[in-house]
Amino acid sequence: MNCGDEPSADALSQIERRIVADLQVVRPVMPAGNIVLFAAIFASLLFIAVYSLGAFAITVMSPLQTSTMLGTTAIGTGLLIYSLIHQMVPGSLHRVSPSLLPIAILMSMMGVIAALFQFQPDADFWPRAWVCLRAGTPIGFLAGVPFWLVLRRGAILSPTVTGTAAGLLSGLLGTSVLEIHCPNLDALHILVSHLGAAILCSIAGFTLGLRAERRSASRPFIRRP
Amino acid sequence: MVRYQRADPEAPRALIVALSPPLLRLFRSQIAIREHAEDLLQETWMRIHRVRHTYRPGEPVLPWVYAIARRVGIDGYRRTRRITSHESTMDVLPERSAQVENRALPEFATLVAALPEAQREVVTMMKVGGLSLEEVARATSCTVGAVKQKAHRAYERLRKLLEAHAAEGWKGGIDELR
Repeated sequence: MNCGDEPSADALSQIERRIVADLQVVRPVMPAGNIVLFAAIFASLLFIAVYSLGAFAITVMSPLQTSTMLGTTAIGTGLLIYSLIHQMVPGSLHRVSPSLLPIAILMSMMGVIAALFQFQPDADFWPRAWVCLRAGTPIGFLAGVPFWLVLRRGAILSPTVTGTAAGLLSGLLGTSVLEIHCPNLDALHILVSHLGAAILCSIAGFTLGLRAERRSASRPFIRRP
Repeated sequence: MVRYQRADPEAPRALIVALSPPLLRLFRSQIAIREHAEDLLQETWMRIHRVRHTYRPGEPVLPWVYAIARRVGIDGYRRTRRITSHESTMDVLPERSAQVENRALPEFATLVAALPEAQREVVTMMKVGGLSLEEVARATSCTVGAVKQKAHRAYERLRKLLEAHAAEGWKGGIDELR
């Protein structure tokens, strides 16, 4: 294979000099600690939001609906946290493709909602949907800030994929709050306004990630001295 | 790597000497960014230095390094594309190189350039970097199954390309490759 020469000794010593000049002890990332951190942020924000808004949906939903909806959201949240932890460490082995996971989670949630709840025509559909979207989306955006603070220590490989997953995780927090709070059991309402909050947050995460990726690609090459 | 994280000044030297040649070969094997291979190598080491805390002790080093190099390569490719998109196209195409004319064995980079990006990346990491399937999966954030599939499709396509090349008059034939 004729793929090129060896790097010059001069170039290598220049790289080495630059690295050694800035050498400091670093603490490796702790995946287990980060899992706990992500879960704690999610649980505490969920508790605060539900406490301030009220848990009216729990009294209206059947035990099957409550357990399945919250269970599906919990599984999706767990998988996203697991994926994000792996994305923070380059060279991790992914059991599920990180770019496909957000789509798979959203699709399965749509399926669960369509199967569990009935579609009931509602003349005030859009005003009600808007109220829920306006409550759930800001919660998601707000949750994105602490998640980003954890993620910025790693997650350097694909800001778009990480941004989408982190956005969806934040959005699922908004969705969970609405699932516990909103007593409207129309399937279309839940799909559009509850899950819509998660979709909007993941789109925002994707956009921010894309911007970060473009900024990274627009920096000039490091010039060799 | 652990010694590097603990700021042992000998550790980066050992890593740079051992890993720079395969990294440079990886960058040079990609036609779109080969002109900037040395710049990208330097940038890779600077980025490795910046994110050295993301290496988990006990994990394989190669996939970690290649994952970062891959990212630098993607950024470099996009940067090059952005720059070249602003340049004017030539009215007259340059003469074909003698290498193409004399029907010699096609250069590795020329051959893999015909592959889709994802397949090219897998083949280059495996054949130029010497990574295993699992290591490529780790470096590209894919599942092992997806890497296997990409490699298989890439080999199929390369075989067809070489057969077509041989049929056009390359005297050595593909047997010489084996």
